[in-house]
Amino acid sequence: MTVTPTLTETRTHGRAENPTEDPAENRAEVQAKIGIRDVGKVFRIRGADRPFTAVDGVDLDVRDGEFLTLVGPSGCGKSTLLDLIAGLTAPTTGRILIDGRAVTGPGLDRGIVFQQYALFPWRTALANIEFGLEAKAVPKKERRERARHYLDLVGLTGFEHRYPHELSGGMRQRVAIARSLAFDPDVLLMDEPFAALDAQTRESLQEELLRIWEKTSKTIVFITHGIDEAVYLGQRVAVMTSRPGRIKKVIDIEFDSREGDLRADPRFGAYRHEIWTLLRDEVAAAQEQERTIG
Amino acid sequence: MADTLAVPGGSGARTLAAGDPEEAAGAATGTGPPGPAPASTRGDAPTADDRATNFFRVAAGTRFPALARPALLLRRTAALALLAALWEVLPRIGVVDRVFAPPLSEVLVAWYDLLVGGQLVEHFQASLIRSLSGFALAIALTIPLGLAIGWYRPVADFLSPVLELFRNTSAVALLPVFILIFGLGEPSKIIFVFYACAWPILLNTISGVRTVEPLLVKSARSMGLGPFRLFQKVILPAAVPTVFTGIRLAGAYSILVLLFAEMVGAKAGLGYLIQDAQFSFRIPDMYAGIITISVLGLLFNLLLVTVERRFSTWRTTS
Ligand SMILES: Nc1ncnc2c1ncn2[C@@H]1O[C@H](COP(=O)(O)OP(=O)(O)O)[C@@H](O)[C@H]1O
Ligand SMILES: [Mg+2]
Repeated sequence: MTVTPTLTETRTHGRAENPTEDPAENRAEVQAKIGIRDVGKVFRIRGADRPFTAVDGVDLDVRDGEFLTLVGPSGCGKSTLLDLIAGLTAPTTGRILIDGRAVTGPGLDRGIVFQQYALFPWRTALANIEFGLEAKAVPKKERRERARHYLDLVGLTGFEHRYPHELSGGMRQRVAIARSLAFDPDVLLMDEPFAALDAQTRESLQEELLRIWEKTSKTIVFITHGIDEAVYLGQRVAVMTSRPGRIKKVIDIEFDSREGDLRADPRFGAYRHEIWTLLRDEVAAAQEQERTIG
Repeated sequence: MADTLAVPGGSGARTLAAGDPEEAAGAATGTGPPGPAPASTRGDAPTADDRATNFFRVAAGTRFPALARPALLLRRTAALALLAALWEVLPRIGVVDRVFAPPLSEVLVAWYDLLVGGQLVEHFQASLIRSLSGFALAIALTIPLGLAIGWYRPVADFLSPVLELFRNTSAVALLPVFILIFGLGEPSKIIFVFYACAWPILLNTISGVRTVEPLLVKSARSMGLGPFRLFQKVILPAAVPTVFTGIRLAGAYSILVLLFAEMVGAKAGLGYLIQDAQFSFRIPDMYAGIITISVLGLLFNLLLVTVERRFSTWRTTS
């Protein structure tokens, strides 16, 4: 089964639901679902005399309905970039655009999935999924129905009334994904969501995420430190440099077919090696930085 | 006391720790590691196993394996029975002086006489009203205050030196001041109880608000929640268990300190009964008073633990 035809189909569908009213001169920007334009983020650190540049001069366009994975050495600013797209922090320089409009703060057009799940422990699975819908002021009955629908979608039917501590790590992450999907954002931002899971759980969640993506036509930005994961999931893989992070290269991942064991495909190995080579120097540089600057 | 009853392998030391001001302070100020600190006074230890076993033990609400309960009950009762037997036998065989420690049966007879005579009810009522008044007043006034202090960082920064100072001033040290200002009557005792109860509740509430998992706040903010809704939907529910830890500590204090106040100057109350019985050498009456106060403390704590459980079923040690 090829991914692209499904995509084009669903993408058109997505467009129809969210018509953009941008003037004609903004056409170039409307092309991208997420536009990251020369974005820099500087943190002022208490006690330190120099400001700290986390990311600098990041330029990246994410297409509507695209699955983009982002890899980079630890501490290069991947999470910072995700926070910026989410609107949780404001860029020091540059602009972030969603559908051509500058991001001014968080909103329900974007959903985040964190590595540590971030479920509300006092809420059951169902109530967690309803959280975003409450924020959206969806009526109670509809909220319930939608939450159930997304719980089914992530394969947790029957676990409605479990509290997070009564669920395994993989189940918790499923709930977190369902929570983000439930308020129907266009964009799903995922920060190493499967990093804390065991290999088997991770693989099954990867497959399910692809299935959900194909079904819902979301635009997904997925951070990972796993090269395999990046190649397996992404239509494109963006590789970041060590701190201050910028985009080093964006690699198109193309397989003839996604059927069968993708990881056994010779091209999988080739992509894997290419990214590994790109990252090797950056990881070395990052480690050098940690030794000298701290 | 009540929590140890429910905790397999729990020891008396835990119960003592729950009433220990030092531990209360540690739980409350957040100077210790945030989060797990209040957990040490929580007393719902079975949840410690949850992480290990939750994958298998999925049925919600079964906090204890069904079979463990009767066995546990038996073990607890056995210890109590042994204590009662020793109390009965040791004075009789002369190991302890039965003038100072009369056999349990004599104490129980004295207790029954006090009950039938109506004195016990009178003293019990006097104590209970004072305790509950101070305790309720502390809950009503300090929870909102604690929420405000915890939520508004500038307020917290402004008040924290004063709070530190008062936190380290023992309520007992201030009793003479209360008596000086409010006289020997009811107000001074209620305010004394209120003062002792206010600190654990206040400090735990502040810590509960301030130690809310930042990731949860971030997650809620990412879903577009403004400050008010964030407080209502995340901060408040997240703080509930920590607040309850404070309430439970305060419950224990309300009885402990009242007893002291009643021994210093009162004409009614269980503290007065114990003190008066000792002065007039009615030793069995003295022990009857002590048993009553223990049982009262036990029941009160049991009640609070039950309420706490209801509100914190979701809480884990993580
Ligand atoms: N709020 C902040 N204040 C100061 N420094 C920060 C803050 N957030 C992130 N950083 C720093 O910015 C750098 C990039 O962090 P992050 O985006 O989390 O990296 P990554 O997710 O790629 O591992 C790190 O060195 C981190 O310490
Ligand atoms: Mg990160």
